[in-house]
Amino acid sequence: MTSIVQALLAVSLVLLPVSIYGDTCLAPQVKSQSYSTPEAIVSFDTVLIVEFSLTCKNNLKNVNLYADVAGRTIPATRIGEPNKYQISITDEPKKLPSGAYEIRFFDEEGFALLRKAQRSGESTSSLKPLFTITLNHPGIWSGPLIQSEFVAAMTAIIVWWMAYTQRGKLLA
Amino acid sequence: MKLWWAALILSFGCFLPTFGEEESEARLLVSKNILNQYLVEGKDLTVEYKVFNVGGKVAFDVVLNDNSFPQSSFTPVSGSLKATWERITPNSNVTHAVILKPLKSGYFNFTSADVSYLTSEESKERTFGYSSFPGEGGIVPQREFDRRFSPHVLDWLVFAFMTLPSLGIPYLLWYSSKSKYDQPKPKKN
Repeated sequence: MTSIVQALLAVSLVLLPVSIYGDTCLAPQVKSQSYSTPEAIVSFDTVLIVEFSLTCKNNLKNVNLYADVAGRTIPATRIGEPNKYQISITDEPKKLPSGAYEIRFFDEEGFALLRKAQRSGESTSSLKPLFTITLNHPGIWSGPLIQSEFVAAMTAIIVWWMAYTQRGKLLA
Repeated sequence: MKLWWAALILSFGCFLPTFGEEESEARLLVSKNILNQYLVEGKDLTVEYKVFNVGGKVAFDVVLNDNSFPQSSFTPVSGSLKATWERITPNSNVTHAVILKPLKSGYFNFTSADVSYLTSEESKERTFGYSSFPGEGGIVPQREFDRRFSPHVLDWLVFAFMTLPSLGIPYLLWYSSKSKYDQPKPKKN
């Protein structure tokens, strides 16, 4: 009896990796392009968008992906063609400062581990993501620091002041 | 009296099932917003969609499709006007953003996007809905916008060049006479 149990255990142990890795994307290859709000007139909120296509070695199609970026976990949106995804992050400009954002992507399993770690308050940085995409947000341009009218007015005042002091010297 | 009872039972009969249904089904609300401070021809137009699941169950196979931007007036910059989510859990929301570029100026009526989803995994019938619509917005022509907001550096340079003669000629005259008469005082020895 015990030998049967042991045999079953051994078989299940052998099959375990197969059942786990059956729906995991192997050697993911990612092509991505990103967008971030360039200037303030274009949007009240800062918008970061990453579009990417995923190719797996084992030809897995339409995997459910989750992104973990800047402390928020969001499901990846599938767009149009198969294996094309999009991530959109919108928030106030203060909460999304300029800089490089490392977006970590997880599949269902990784996401479950991530949620578990988040619930128990552990650090999630030790979890190995499926792949990462780095998005560079150069910051939002909100117009020139000083108005050109101001520069022109200052130039005029300086020229007048120089002329006036010279005239004063002449009359003295 | 019998009639009164019947009315009471009927009214309860009407209420109870709806209560039950709302509790157990997925229900999505979609908002569509234009985030721009100014809508300018040739500058990015930011459209944000937010999908809220206010129902009690997970919504499956959610498809958001926006056909309200004709290709003749808008060209896509980033993001897709068709988005799909496998599932949206109750009391959660997802955000989707699309960047477009308006090709024409003038008034444009921003209408709603379509959303369709399955209220449960087994259900065959899709539930259809619409997002909110931002309404009419005026797209400012590029030239008009530049006239109001560009720094006008070239214009100021032209202005400076034009004022140069009226300032420069008296300055040169003054400078030549100054260098002629204002010679350094001869040393007394």
